[in-house]
Amino acid sequence: MSKFQEIEFYKKPETKYELLPFRFINLSEDQLLLTNLVGEYYLTDREVLDDLVRHRLDRENSAYSSLRSRHFLYDEQTSIAKDLLKIKYRTRFNKLDEFTSLHMFVVSLRCEHSCPYCQVSRQSDDKIKYDMSKEIASKSVDLALRSPSKNIKIEFQGGESLLNFDLIKYIVEEAKLRNTDKNLGFVIATNLAVVTQEILDYCLIHDIHISTSLDGPRDLHNKNRPRPGRNSYEKTVEGIKLARETLGFDKVNAIMTTTESSLAIPEKIIDEYLLHNFSGIFLRPLSPYGFAIKTKKFNEYNAARWFEFYKLGLEYIIKLNKEGVIFREFYTSTILKKIFTFSDTGYVDLMSPAGIGIAAVVYNYDGSVFASDEGRMLAEMGEDKFKLGNVLSDTYKDIFLSDALLDPLEESFASSVPMCSECAFESYCGSDPVYHYATTKDFVGRKPESDFCYRNMNVFKYIFNRMNSDMYVEKLFMSWSK
Amino acid sequence: MEINLTFDLNVYSLLVLKKSAYRYINKFSINFNVKNQNVICALSFSNKYTADQCNYFADQFKKEVLDQDLRETIKNETEPVRNLILAHAFSKTGLVDSE
Repeated sequence: MSKFQEIEFYKKPETKYELLPFRFINLSEDQLLLTNLVGEYYLTDREVLDDLVRHRLDRENSAYSSLRSRHFLYDEQTSIAKDLLKIKYRTRFNKLDEFTSLHMFVVSLRCEHSCPYCQVSRQSDDKIKYDMSKEIASKSVDLALRSPSKNIKIEFQGGESLLNFDLIKYIVEEAKLRNTDKNLGFVIATNLAVVTQEILDYCLIHDIHISTSLDGPRDLHNKNRPRPGRNSYEKTVEGIKLARETLGFDKVNAIMTTTESSLAIPEKIIDEYLLHNFSGIFLRPLSPYGFAIKTKKFNEYNAARWFEFYKLGLEYIIKLNKEGVIFREFYTSTILKKIFTFSDTGYVDLMSPAGIGIAAVVYNYDGSVFASDEGRMLAEMGEDKFKLGNVLSDTYKDIFLSDALLDPLEESFASSVPMCSECAFESYCGSDPVYHYATTKDFVGRKPESDFCYRNMNVFKYIFNRMNSDMYVEKLFMSWSK
Repeated sequence: MEINLTFDLNVYSLLVLKKSAYRYINKFSINFNVKNQNVICALSFSNKYTADQCNYFADQFKKEVLDQDLRETIKNETEPVRNLILAHAFSKTGLVDSE
C-alpha cells in the first residue's frame, strides 16, 4: 500500500462558476466579441462561448482566467467581482450629476457663405431679425453659469458667428464677470472668412479657441462652401495661419464635412490636413438637417458609402502611422476611449443617456433653448420637438426639467431600447434621439433600419477586427485612446 | 416571395423568435402562427430580393434564433446579479432628490 494519497486527493475540489451579465455579437464567421456590463471585452470563438454559458469551461483553459479577470464570470476566488463591476458601472455614469458643460450661443444666423449642405439654414440678411440681442445673451449667460458642471465651455455658433463679434465680446466679459466658481473656456466656431487681427488679438487676451471648417483640397472646399469671390479655401487657410500665429498652434482646430464629392478622395482630404499640420481629422458624415435636406445633399450618399469612405481614410491613416507620420482619426479615437477607458468622452452622439441637455445645450439667436445643436437645426426646418423653452420667459428649472428634455432622454436610453439593450456594442454607442426623430419621427426608431446603427455597428466591428488582425494596429489604437 | 419556417416551442420560446424577427425587420415582415407546440413563421419578402437572397436571409434568421436563445439563457441566469449590481451602483449617488 502506498504511503501517499492518490493525486486526486490533493486536487482542490472543483467549484462551479457563476456567470456575470454579458452580451455577444459575431464579428466574423469564426470570431465573436463578448462585452460585459461595463464594456470590457473578450474575443473568442463559438466553442468557448457555448462552454462558458453551459458551465463547461475548464479552469485550465486560458479563456477561463481571462474571462474571470474581465468579470464575465466569478468563482469562489473572485466573489469581489460583483463589487468591482458595481464601482466600474458607477464610474461610467459619474458625470451625470455634473451635467451640461458645453453651452452653445447662436449669436447670429447670418452668413456670407451659401453652402448647400448647411445644416443650420443660415440667413443672408436682416441683422435685427437674425442676430442675438444683449438681453437674450445676458439671460443665457446666467443660465449657463447655473449648470452643476464645474467646467463650462461657451461655444459661439452661427451662421457666421464673427458677424456679431461685438456680442461675443459682451458674452465673454459678462461670463467672466459673473462667474464665481467655474472653469470657463471659450470657442468661436467660424469659417474665418471675416476674421481680422483685431479679433484675434481679443481672442488671445481672453484665451478663446478657434474651430473652423476645412473640407479638403481647394477645389473640393470651394465647391462645398461657395461665397462671393469663390475664395472660401483661401480665406480659411489664411485665417488658420493668422490665428495660429496670434493664438498659438494648439488653439486652432478644423472639422470637415463629407459630401458626395469627398467620397472618392479620402487620401487627398487627409493630405490637406497634413499639409496644414493638423494632428488628426474627423471624417464626419452629413447630418439630416437644414439645407442638407432642402437641397437633397443629405441623400446624395448613404451610410454604406460613407463607411467605405471611412475605411479608406482609416487605412490610409494607419499606413501613414506605419511610415512614421503621427496622425489620427478623431471619431475612431472617441470610440477607442470608450472601449479602453471608463471615462465619458462627452461626444453627444455617442452618449446614453443621450447627450442632449446633459452634455450640451443651445441658446438660439431668438432666445429659444434647444437640447442640442441638431435640435435647433431641426427647429429651423419647422420642427421644434427639442425646444426646451425660452431664456426670456422660462426659469432654469422650467428648461432642464421640461418634458421636451426628459421624455427623449428616458425613451431613448439604449439599455432599455429594442436591440440596443442586447447589443454587445451598447457600452460604446449612443442613442441620438434627435437623429432618429429627424429621420423617423420617433426618438428610438427601428434600429435595423437606422443609418446611425448601421454606421456605428460597422465602425465598431471594423475597429475590433483590425485590432485583432494586426498587432501594430492594436498598439496604435490603444495609443489613440489616451 | 414567402418562406415558412417551423419552430418547436419546446425548444425555442416565442420571445426568442420575436426578438430574432425584429433584427430582420428591414429584410422581411413576419407572421407567427402558433399550432399546438409549433410556431410557423411566415417570412414575406419584397420583390426587390431574389430567391437566393430570400433563402440566405431565412438561413441567417435561423442562426439568429440560436443566438437569441443563448442570449436568453445568459439573461435569465444573470438577471438577479445584474439587478443587484445596478441597484448598488446607483445607491447614494445623490441623483434622486430626497424631497
